[in-house]
Amino acid sequence: MKKWKKFSLFFILTAALTGLFTTTVSAVSPFILLGGKEGDLQPEILQRLYDNFVKDDRWKYLVEGLGRTLLITVVAMIIGTLIGFLLAIIRVAHDKNGSVPVLNVIARLYITIIRGTPVMIQLLIIYFVIFASVDIDKMLVAIIAFGLNSAAYVSETVRSGIMSIDNGQFEAAKSLGLGFPAAMIHIILPQAFKNILPALGNELIALLKETSISGYIGLMDLTRGGDYIRSVTYEAFLPLIAVALIYLVIVILLSAGVSKLEKRLKKNER
Amino acid sequence: MSDNIKNGEVLIRVENLSKSFGDNLVLDDISMEIKKGDVISVIGPSGCGKSTFIRSLNLLEEPTGGSIFFEGTDITERGVDIRQIREKIGMVFQQFNLFDNMTVKKNIMLAPVKLKLMTKEQAQTRAMELLETVGLADKADNYPSQLSGGQKQRVAIARSLAMEPDVMLFDEPTSALDPEMVGEVLNIMKDLATKGMTMVVVTHEMGFAREVSTRTIFIDGGKIQEDDVPEKVFTDPKNERLRDFLKSVL
Repeated sequence: MKKWKKFSLFFILTAALTGLFTTTVSAVSPFILLGGKEGDLQPEILQRLYDNFVKDDRWKYLVEGLGRTLLITVVAMIIGTLIGFLLAIIRVAHDKNGSVPVLNVIARLYITIIRGTPVMIQLLIIYFVIFASVDIDKMLVAIIAFGLNSAAYVSETVRSGIMSIDNGQFEAAKSLGLGFPAAMIHIILPQAFKNILPALGNELIALLKETSISGYIGLMDLTRGGDYIRSVTYEAFLPLIAVALIYLVIVILLSAGVSKLEKRLKKNER
Repeated sequence: MSDNIKNGEVLIRVENLSKSFGDNLVLDDISMEIKKGDVISVIGPSGCGKSTFIRSLNLLEEPTGGSIFFEGTDITERGVDIRQIREKIGMVFQQFNLFDNMTVKKNIMLAPVKLKLMTKEQAQTRAMELLETVGLADKADNYPSQLSGGQKQRVAIARSLAMEPDVMLFDEPTSALDPEMVGEVLNIMKDLATKGMTMVVVTHEMGFAREVSTRTIFIDGGKIQEDDVPEKVFTDPKNERLRDFLKSVL
């Protein structure tokens, strides 16, 4: 309970600070930029808020965009985590037992290519090259692209987590007659997961923000939604700041969730 | 399998075992036998290969030459399911190696349940019995991080015993312990020995080697230099290196 109080206090403070910052800047900037008089400020800012977010239901671009951004992020994370763990286990199985040499080469190749090229190029290639002749939902393309991209990073994180576990844990499992899969599932991965949770949280946050390039395949995500408002109202400041704020709030919520999970897992030890 | 082998019959036979790490020859053509009921202490200076030797017996170290027969099966041969063999060979490590992510009781129950040797209920009953014998029944629901070194090692012994092994390997079981905790672990091992468990113990505890073991093996330079009853090894050492070694440790 106490931790929740602490967190909500932090959250409110952050929100208040950003709110204060935004209103101050937006209140002052037209004054500076347009050379308006001080008396015009109040109605001016209200008019601009109305134009950017209320008129023609423009807020919907942000809300619907946010929905798409979140959907891409969550599904891509699931795909990335599943494939990432698989890749890591293949590589560790190879390192420890010399088994699965072919799969190991494939895994290494995959990680090299994905990490060696920009995610935006991967997104464009998947949309314009691989699915060029197929009529495919852009959401699906984005989910595949970001999921596959995330998998490479997750796999290296998971692998480092597995390697951080003392080899004695493996040996004890072996000496009891347990095989590699059983040792992994019951002993190594639960411990590794706890160690890499902060890094996985980091990857999730990076993933969320990376999805902001989805607009390049014409997908109306949160970023593109804000950008669209900008293009019809000819005002950059309010829509872009609004988009930034929404990302910030989501990231704050995500990191709070991750640290809560961290604490819960830690409790199991003592 | 174990029931066919009577006391005094050969349980493990090591033939011309050698092991090298790169150019470094650690075990040099070792041959010996372990009979059912033997309590063998393995002594020797550090780096002599005694740990590598005991770890070869359940193939935690892959030998580079020779054979190891366990209850008649050559376990170094391809196609042998080493996991099944390991179920019958308990091992206790210097660093305990308890599974840190589970309670003491779960540590003991994991292998018998996952290998389908016992139901969960049977394993639970067995775990509590074993914890009783090592005097730690009250710690059943604690995590390893909450135990002292001596307690951890006693749990590790209980965990190995849960598999009902035919032989127990101890790789310097008391070397990582604070001095005041060595006794509690040695006492458990003594009990096991009196109950007839076949044991191979790599140890620096010369008192234990002398009093409890039925045979003492002295390894130096990757070779067995002396293999005899402890009275002979400790009071009438024939080998010169053994004499030097005993002088330095006693």
